[in-house]
Amino acid sequence: MSNPLVEVSDLVFVYPNGVRALDSIDLRIERGERLAIIGQNGSGKSTLVRHFVGLLHATSGEVRVDGQPVGRRHVAELARTVAIAFQNPDRQIFAARVRDEVGFGPRNLGLRGAVLHERVGAALRVVGLDGRGDANPYDLGYSQRKLLALACVVAMDAPLVVLDEPTTGQDARGVRRIEAIMAELAAGGTTVVAISHDMRFVAENAARVVVMRAGRIVDDGPPATVFSEPSWPVLGSTYLEPPLAARVGARLGLGPTPTERTLVARALEASAPRVSGPG
Amino acid sequence: MASAARVIGSGDTRAGLPAFVQPLPSGPYRSLNPTTKGVIAVSEALVAFAVRGWSGPLAVLLALALTAAVARLGRSLLPFLIATVPITASILLVNTFLFPGATDRIVTIGPFAPTWTGLTAAVQATLRVVAFAMSVAVLVLTTRPDELVADLERRGAPRGVTFVIGATVRTIPRVVQRAREITEAQRARGLDTEGRVWRRVRGVLPLAAPLVFGSLNEVEEQTMALEARAFSATGRRTPLRVFPDHVAQRALRWMLAIGTTALIILSIAGALAFLP
Amino acid sequence: MTLTLEAVTYRYPGTARPALADISLEIAPGAVLGLVGANEAGKSTLCLLAAGLAPATIGGRIEGRVVIDGLATVAARPSELAQRCGILFQNAETQLSGTAATVWEEVAFGPRNLSLSLAEIAERTDWALGILGIEALAPREPGRLSGGQAQLVALAAVLAMRPAYLVLDEPTSQLDPQGTKMVGSALQRLAHDTGVGLLVVEHKTDLLASIAERCLVLADGRIVGGGPSAELLADPRLDGWGVEPPSAVRIERAARSAGLAEAMLSAIAALP
Repeated sequence: MSNPLVEVSDLVFVYPNGVRALDSIDLRIERGERLAIIGQNGSGKSTLVRHFVGLLHATSGEVRVDGQPVGRRHVAELARTVAIAFQNPDRQIFAARVRDEVGFGPRNLGLRGAVLHERVGAALRVVGLDGRGDANPYDLGYSQRKLLALACVVAMDAPLVVLDEPTTGQDARGVRRIEAIMAELAAGGTTVVAISHDMRFVAENAARVVVMRAGRIVDDGPPATVFSEPSWPVLGSTYLEPPLAARVGARLGLGPTPTERTLVARALEASAPRVSGPG
Repeated sequence: MASAARVIGSGDTRAGLPAFVQPLPSGPYRSLNPTTKGVIAVSEALVAFAVRGWSGPLAVLLALALTAAVARLGRSLLPFLIATVPITASILLVNTFLFPGATDRIVTIGPFAPTWTGLTAAVQATLRVVAFAMSVAVLVLTTRPDELVADLERRGAPRGVTFVIGATVRTIPRVVQRAREITEAQRARGLDTEGRVWRRVRGVLPLAAPLVFGSLNEVEEQTMALEARAFSATGRRTPLRVFPDHVAQRALRWMLAIGTTALIILSIAGALAFLP
Repeated sequence: MTLTLEAVTYRYPGTARPALADISLEIAPGAVLGLVGANEAGKSTLCLLAAGLAPATIGGRIEGRVVIDGLATVAARPSELAQRCGILFQNAETQLSGTAATVWEEVAFGPRNLSLSLAEIAERTDWALGILGIEALAPREPGRLSGGQAQLVALAAVLAMRPAYLVLDEPTSQLDPQGTKMVGSALQRLAHDTGVGLLVVEHKTDLLASIAERCLVLADGRIVGGGPSAELLADPRLDGWGVEPPSAVRIERAARSAGLAEAMLSAIAALP
């Protein structure tokens, strides 16, 4: 029986200035899950994921990663299990060449030589930057620098990848690329957690949505449940709106339709001629 | 600060200004014109170092003690005092034990031979550092940075200078925040900031480079944002508030300026050697 | 009087390849013009040109003319331009001067630079704060605001220059949904109530669909499409230009290609 990859029990986190950023958080993340965390700024999303990698330590409660309590373990050690891609790529890029930037993480984890080279190449391929290995990161546009930051995280080859606002500032192609990368990671068995403000992106790419407000988890379930009409009051209390597909489906009385595909599917069902009675 | 002396500028420029905008400071010493407080601080700092021996630092410390009493600045000076400890501790040690050419030993313990000359020099130097720190402390505790900047501006200080002073003070938290974000991102990629020291040395470039590049990138956008608000327009920037000034204060500032300059010149010329 | 770009081609200093080629557009007072396109298409460059920051502040070579209410930008001083066209960037933090102790002083910064009288400074500042509904923020420290609030303060600070036009480069990109709504509705009110002409660059086509009457598409430095928002944002070529259509358009398209009955389709289309 395998333990959950991340287990958070009654986590409370209070900043030194007294602000209670996390209040009694209970969360289990199983291996292979595709999870999204949504909520307004200040709801505690980023604070929560920082606990997974030891950047923040619980004031009370426990965080266990891969069966072991996080406790006071070094971030450098936990980074082998949890790789976080932060929102702003320019807050980490420092190398003169793309491949050196991507290699930084695996190098810290002890990789060298051919193995390192292979890992960097694979990561660049996954994000679609395989032709730009020798380019200067600042010669890349913003979208591509974000993909570079993503490649850095992919190269860590960690069982859990956390993406903090991956689609901010991305154009349509960029978003599509991110979605493809997430799918590829998930297909390879990686557990993916995405923090996002884009409800449509969340509905289409996450199998489970965790809703946060004021340091607490107020809803947790598949998009079909979290974005369906009975859950709207909860969403409304966090000033979030469900994706348009969900609203359209509810208006038409079609039940939970968090994505276009489900909306169209249910609409087709509903408009099909009725099946004749039994016998 | 009502006085019989003539008042220059009443400071009454309400005309729709909300009360919370650059409120006039009140209380003894604090209600002095910001430039006066600035000139006092600079004079004290200069005299403490210009007049050697005991006289300079002790005179300044006396003046500061008086000021602190008037402005009721007791305990708040403590952090500034504590901040000087690393410097004063090393000054005391180095001078007492290693003063060049001194032979009047206090006591000899093995290889260590502290001297009276060294000790004297050490204490004097310590007093100078403390006097400097305290004059800065008094200024910082009684004057808001934007008060001083605003008053200097009104007196015609160049726009760029006052902007740099004001912006620097407020930019620090921003840079600190950015440094924190960079550190987090690099640690999350396995950069070891908690382990052995020799491994931490490797972390300088990944931490410093994004800070520098990021700042450079930001500078262009900041410049444009400032231009969009006519930062480079010619003409005097309208002051929001005129801090009251008095003939007496102006006289004091001139006296301090002339007096300090005179003391510095005399001190360099060696004419003050008679002072203890 | 309008803000007009006439056949503008622009090269950044030291580059041969034009960042923008043959751009012509017009912003009328009170109009909201949306601008979409892939990243690196030149949208930010276009913003800088419209506001006159290029070439006046950042240099570069320009062919064609940018004229704001009769003033050609190429020879104008930055302070003159600032009073005709304002600009708002993504990051609120870098736009705040960093020298003001309160939001009120931050907004007053621009008018002060123009050497206006205290009475006029107060009037403009109060007006700008009022128009955006953020009077309550006046005594607050600019550095301690939420993203949405900071962006509104930056907007007020630019409005205090009383420009006739305003260019916004992805103003909601760094904001959460609530902040996005705050800024979106503020922009709408601004255009409708005060007659300021807006050029808004955004990836969020849902937002543009609700606040912009017309939209333009920029690809590889050229304008490749434009028209009333409802039409342009439904253009099937948007995807190819690197632009995500609004949710309503995507849903409608999916419904149509699934062959859903017209009644269903019109019900979908009728929803907000």
